[in-house]
Amino acid sequence: MYKQKRRRNCPFAQAGIVYIDFKDEKLLKKYLTEQGKIIPRHTSGASAKMQRQLARAVKRARHLALLPYSADFTR
Amino acid sequence: MAIYETVVILDSLLPPKEIDDFVERCSSVIAEHGGKVRTIEKWGKRRLAYEIQKKQYGFYFSVEFEGEGEIPAILQSEYNFNDNVLRYLTYRYDKHKLQSMSSQKPSAKPVEVRSSAPAEAEPVKKVEKASEVDEKNEEEA
Repeated sequence: MYKQKRRRNCPFAQAGIVYIDFKDEKLLKKYLTEQGKIIPRHTSGASAKMQRQLARAVKRARHLALLPYSADFTR
Repeated sequence: MAIYETVVILDSLLPPKEIDDFVERCSSVIAEHGGKVRTIEKWGKRRLAYEIQKKQYGFYFSVEFEGEGEIPAILQSEYNFNDNVLRYLTYRYDKHKLQSMSSQKPSAKPVEVRSSAPAEAEPVKKVEKASEVDEKNEEEA
């Protein structure tokens, strides 16, 4: 009963996003902590489907140095 | 036939002419092996999120193409052979990407035409970068 109250909607479904592009740094940065870790889906409310896509996009962006692996890396 | 995209980071200290030559070479490799180049995008010089081979900046470009599965492997050997390639990523468009493409087809078509003139200013993400590419092209001419 209490679980239903806390349930959130997927932010990607609400924004009408079907595909998460790894080139869209602005979007990806919203789902990263300051350290550059991926925010867990129990916090962001993303659906499992979109969280998988998000993780893949972030990992691709990291490989191409669009996003940091660790934010305090260069400092 | 599947659609692939390859993104390459080159050393930004390379002369613009060599960058263009390399882009040209990649697209000719694709064409030689029966692939069809759809778009070439030069993103321009960008700051890297972390150092790669002690470098802070890189020149990014991407090529979208259709072709058979052997082309990514051939491209890979091409990239590994060249010391100026800092990083590369070749990936196949998954069903989500294809789905998002089919929902906005009209915008995809004019992009295809631009592939015939790769040296021209390509659709770059930000306006500043587009102007950078322009400048480089002017310098050559």
